[in-house]
Formats: sequence, structure tokens, C-alpha cells
Amino acid sequence: MDVIGPALAGFSVAFEPANLLYCLLGVTLGMLVGVLPGLGPAATIAVLLPITYTIEPASAIIMLAGIFYGAQYGGTITSVLLRLPGEASTVVTAIDGYQMARNGRAGAALGIAAIGSFIGGTVAILGLTFLAPLVAGAALSFGPPEYTALAVLGILLVTTLGGGSVRASLLAAAIGLLLATVGRDPIVATERFTFGSDELADGIDFVVVAMGLFGIGEILFNLEQHRGTNPKPPPIGRAWPSRQDWRDARAAVGRGSVVGFVLGVLPGGGATMSSLVAYAVEKRRAKDPSRFGKGAIEGVAGPETANNAAATSSFIPLLTLGIPANGTMAIMFGALLLHGITPGPLLIGQHPDVFWGVIDSMYVGNLLLLIMSVPLIGIFVRVLAVRTAILAPLTVLITMIGVYTVRMSVFDMLAVAVFGVLGYLMKKVGLEPGPLVLAFVLGTLLETSFRQSMRIFHGDLAGFAGRPISGVLLGAVVVIVVVAALRRRSHRKTVDNDVLAVPGPTKEP
Amino acid sequence: MHRRIVALLAGTAVALTACGGVQGGSAARDAAGFPTKPVELTVPSSAGGSSDLIGRAVARAVEKPLGTSVPVVNKPGANGAVGGKEVLGSSPDGHRLVMLFKSLMSITPLAVDDPDAIRFDQMTVVAPLTVEDYVLVVPAASPHRTVADLVGAGRLSYGTTGAGTGSQLAQALLFGAAKVDATDVPFDGGAPTITALLGSQVDAAVIQIAEAAPQVDAGALRPLAVFSEARIPFLKDVPTAKELGYDVVVDQRRFLAAPAGLAPEALATLQKAVATAQQDPRYTEFLEKNYISPWTDPADQVIPHLEAAKKGYADVIAASGITFKES
Repeated sequence: MDVIGPALAGFSVAFEPANLLYCLLGVTLGMLVGVLPGLGPAATIAVLLPITYTIEPASAIIMLAGIFYGAQYGGTITSVLLRLPGEASTVVTAIDGYQMARNGRAGAALGIAAIGSFIGGTVAILGLTFLAPLVAGAALSFGPPEYTALAVLGILLVTTLGGGSVRASLLAAAIGLLLATVGRDPIVATERFTFGSDELADGIDFVVVAMGLFGIGEILFNLEQHRGTNPKPPPIGRAWPSRQDWRDARAAVGRGSVVGFVLGVLPGGGATMSSLVAYAVEKRRAKDPSRFGKGAIEGVAGPETANNAAATSSFIPLLTLGIPANGTMAIMFGALLLHGITPGPLLIGQHPDVFWGVIDSMYVGNLLLLIMSVPLIGIFVRVLAVRTAILAPLTVLITMIGVYTVRMSVFDMLAVAVFGVLGYLMKKVGLEPGPLVLAFVLGTLLETSFRQSMRIFHGDLAGFAGRPISGVLLGAVVVIVVVAALRRRSHRKTVDNDVLAVPGPTKEP
Repeated sequence: MHRRIVALLAGTAVALTACGGVQGGSAARDAAGFPTKPVELTVPSSAGGSSDLIGRAVARAVEKPLGTSVPVVNKPGANGAVGGKEVLGSSPDGHRLVMLFKSLMSITPLAVDDPDAIRFDQMTVVAPLTVEDYVLVVPAASPHRTVADLVGAGRLSYGTTGAGTGSQLAQALLFGAAKVDATDVPFDGGAPTITALLGSQVDAAVIQIAEAAPQVDAGALRPLAVFSEARIPFLKDVPTAKELGYDVVVDQRRFLAAPAGLAPEALATLQKAVATAQQDPRYTEFLEKNYISPWTDPADQVIPHLEAAKKGYADVIAASGITFKES
């Protein structure tokens, strides 16, 4: 199929002055809603949908797409500065990013995230331009058994997060898995652990868990640490990564782009898995893995690049197969339908202007986002100079508004407070929230796809081994576990690394 | 251009305010002057689904005849129960409407126990809206060309769009009647079901016509049967289940409801506006394009229809001896 001709024609759509403006509007709005955790791109696009009725379909989708990938840029900011991850794919960033901010390197963290996002996004758009139909087909070979294997691998990888011990991470992950079972059973819809409450019928929202454990938990912990004293805000440092930072993070950005693009194509959980895999890859490749969890720049660069690349490649199933890969894509799907365009395998042929116009506008949008980031990071890092007495209540306020906007629920605002207390207690005993939150996200995927698989296999467990992708993935899981166990055994004779290294509450530098 | 942007921003501001779930509790109630403020339409599912799309299409069309803005609020949860109960439990002044659907009232109760489910006496039906039909599809790569092929193939697994949906019911009844060893694999809605089907993860699935259409057009999915009373114009070569000897008629219908006790004047105003909206060419075009038919019964026939459907389904389930409720 000739790609170059129509792809170039798409630029004439993307460069129409009105469309440039819609693109700018979209990415700016996206960045802003990304900054407010909770109010995600999905809600924003839903709200803005009615006002796009009167504009051209291509312009409308250009703007809405801009909101989506713009939000990925913005989401990093609160993760790094306030430890408030608004989306599952930025949880990983909150770990090392926040530590970098505490060390006075917020500017470097945000800067490398912006550069990484730009590169990851651009790589993924190139992939989208040239490989879309090819990769889309591959995504279909991922059925429930493959997702089961992927989720198992993911849960194994959460134990690599941060600097805690494997045992502590596994414990936190187990709590996460348990929490994921709250709500209606994904297969037969019976309610579990809901105590008859409708608010719990759909389970606990990710945003509630993440912002409670990370954001509120951190505030409570700091309150106790600094009781009676007026804590000094961390130094702000330079507003941009240094040459050395870039050298350290360069390879991570490259690897993150590829990981993000590939995993982002998978409907459901692609972006989260990609950030997790990128983090694990960086930690494994690092000469000194103990830096991770204490502010390693690769721990920000890899996942941030990957989640942005994944956000872009999640357009592939929508545009080439007509399958929305996540909640935001479902709304984009609706937006296209309301504009009289049916996303599906025939979209490229029937509406090449929309298909290529939107894709080409992403090149422009990503560039705009990078340009906007430069001055904005300088402003945002100043947030850190605000006294805790002001910043802490403000953070709570942002959290509460963010949580409320997810489904307009007061119950969720109470729930986030409960998770805040849990986060505080976990920090006291040295459990990290990262593994819990990510296991919580992957738990639903694991349970649903495992039970779907068992039905597909008519109850025969051996079915997993009989399929190439799930067989290989599960084989990899077994190898990783065995190798890790052997390594621990040989280590135990000298220094019992993992167990003795259980940190108490990590002392803030 | 500049004015368009200003309008856009103004629109954003209005929309954002609306999104905040404005609830005027103490607004002056003046039945004669209804509506006194925007009429909020709650869609009890997340944005992007078919409920949401139809809700938005209706809201867009009804604004003009009603003379006020009609913001759509998504309130997902418990398969529609959360949004439904919230609106039906609010003050019956006509400023809050909810879009409900047949499967929630007629099918879900047969599959899932919920002592707290929405009851008919909690609502005033404002207007019937739409009928959507279901189609049984197999992947293009499947060897099965007819329903007879499929049910003759021995053991199979089929995808459904969730427990307690029309998709599950239609297949449970069809495969139950055909006495096939078939396992249902529930997915979370239409999109994941189609994904699984395109990848041949399951042998067959029942989805709504609108969801199937682009894939059928592209030759990626093959329709085997529809579950309507009569054939569907878009799929005129596809037999109904009834023609094939299976008495399975399942569809999804949507309607607008307000809390019980809505003042007759407000109800009349709303009904008139919805009737006008249903003639709006943009609305009818939207329905046509998405293979949705208007539900043309009078409003007072909605509840009897839903009750009859529930009883009918319960009877067929009992007669066929299948287990629809699982644990």
C-alpha cells in the first residue's frame, strides 16, 4: 500500500491554519487537564464533545486527540512535584520523579520527561504512519490467555519498583490484588465485598487508590515528620536537564520509545504495562540498581517516554480496526460516530483526510507541547518553593477536586482519605505504594482474562502452554522467578541483601 | 475565526459548568414556566458507549424545541443502577432526566440478584427512544457459514458483551435450544468482544448491529443470524433466528425517564419536545447511519413492554432448562 502520498497529503490538512489552531487549543487544554489529576482526558473530551459538533470532523478529532496526548505531558507534572499520579501510566514516574524533586532536581525530571515524551511520541507517530496496519493485526493475536500471561509478568515486574525489598513489594502487591476484587465479579456480575453499596459495585477507582496512597499518604507522613518545625522546602535547582542528565537518560529514552510503541498497541492496559516494563528494563540494565527509588533519572526517562509512545500507538487499533483501546479512545470513537464517520477497517479508504490529517497533526502537536514545556517547567517547579503549610492543604484540595471529577462522587472523596491513611501507615512500616497500586490495576486484568481463558479452554489449564505468545510469556515468568530464587540462594550465604535491606521509613534527604 | 474561538471558549465554560453536576435544589418551581433552567440528561454509563451516543444525539436534538440547554452527564456504575437511582431519587421537577434501557429492566434481573434494583414505580416514562437489534457473527476466517454449521461443530465458546445483557441471553437461548456444548465468555462491552472475535479468540458472538456494521462491511466478520422479529434491511440476506426454527427474539430498547410524580404539565412539555426532536433530520440521520430504529410505541406502553419482555424471557429460560444465572 502506498503510504507516502496520502501521508503527505495529510499534512495539508494538518497545516490548515484553523487546524493548527485547534491542535494548539487541544494540546494546551490537554496539558492543563493533565496537571489536574483525576480530571483526565476522557472526561475533558466528553465535556468538549458538544462544541465540536459544528466544526469539521478532521478539526474536531485533531483537537480531541491533542487533549489526549497533551494530558500525558501534563500528568507528569503533579506526579513529580506533588507525588500525585493521576493515571496508572504515571504511577511509575511518581517513584523516582518525586525523589528527584526532593533532591532539587525537579527541573531535570520534568525536562527529561518532556524531551522523552516528545521523542517517544514522535517515534510512535512514525510507527503509526508506516507500520499501523501491520501492528494492528498483531494486536489481535492477543486474546485473554495472552493478557493473562502479560498481567502475571506485570505483577512480577511491580516487585522491581522502587528501592524496597522483594518481600515488601510482594506483600504490597498482594494487598493490591485483594483490593482489585472489590466490586462486581467481572464474569458473572455478582457483587463482592461491596456491603450492598452501589458506590462500590464497580470497584474502587484507580484514581482514588493512587492519589490516596501516594499524595495524601505522603502529606500525612510529612506532617508527622515535621511536627512543630517549619520544614524547609527542597531546593529548586536548575529548570532543565544538564548535559550529563541527558547522557544518562539518552538510552532509556530510546528503549522507552520502542517498548511504549509496541505495548501501546494492545487494547487495555498497554500504557501502564509499557511504563512498568520500561522501568524494569532500566533498573535491570543499570550498573547500580540501588539508585532506583532514590531519584534515578532513567527511572523517569524510560517510563515517561514509554507511556507517551503508548498513548500515541493506542490510536492504531482505533483508526485501523475500529476498536477503542481504552476509555479515552472509546470517547474518540463516539466523537467520530457523532461526526458521521464510522471508525473501522475501512476508515483509511473512506476518510483519508481524517485519518492522515489527525496522524500528521500529532507531529505538530508534539512539537508544540515540547515548546510549551520549556517555559512552563520553569514556572511549575516554583510550586516547590511554596511553604508546606500552604502547599499541603492545596494538594489535598487538588486531590479532592480531582477525585470528585472522576464520577462526581462524594463517596470517592471519603475513600481517598481512607487510602491516605493507609498510605501513611504503609510508609511507616516501609511498604511502598507503587507495587500496591499497579498490582491493583493489573489485578482486574489478570482475573478477568484468566477466567475468560479458562472458559475458552473449557477448563483446561494446559491451554496456556499451547499458545505461542502466552506460552513464551509464561515461560519467561518461570525463568525470571527461578533465576531470582537461585541468585538469592547464592547471595544468602554472604549478605542477605533483600531481606536485610528492608528500609524503615526512608529518611528524606 | 476570532469570534469562533471566543464562542468555543464560552462553550467550554458552559460545558464545564454543566459537567460539574449543577443541581439546583431550591430553584423556583413553576410548572407553567417549565423549563426554568437547563434540563440535565444523565446517561448512566461512561462516555463513548452506545447509550452515551444516543443520549448525546437526543440531547443535541431536543435543546431547540425545549428552549433550554440539555447537558449530558455521564454517571456510570453498577450497570446503570447508580445513575438511574440518583436521578429517579431526585426531585420530580422535570429538570433531571435519565436514559434507561431494556436489558437493565428485563434481562439483568434474570441473571443477577439485586434486591436494590430500579423498580418501575420509581419512574415516570417520558418517551420511548430507540430499538437496536442484535446479530450473531463469526470471524471471517471461521469455517462456519450458517447457524447449522456452527451448532453442528461440537464444543464451542462464544463471546458476550457481559453478564445480564441481551448478547448473553440471545446466545444462551440459541445454543441452549440447539443443545450445543457451548461456554460463554463475557467481555466488558461491545469493543472487547469484537476484538476477541476478530482475533478468533472465541468462535462466535452476538453484538449490536451498529457495532458489527463496519466490520461486516470490511469483510472481517460474517453475520449468521439476527434476533429481530423480521429481517433487517441492512442485512437482508441474513435469516432471523425465528426463521431458523429458534424462537429467540432479543433487542435493546432505550427510553427517557424522570422521577415518579412528574407534574403533567412538565411531562407534556418534555414529550412534545422529544417528539419534535425525533423528527430532526440530523437525529434521524444519526439513527439511520447507526442502524438504530426509533421506538414508536406511545410512552404509556413502555413499562408494559418491558414487563412483558421480562416475563417472556423468564418463561423461555425456564422452558429451555438452561441456567442463565451463574455463580
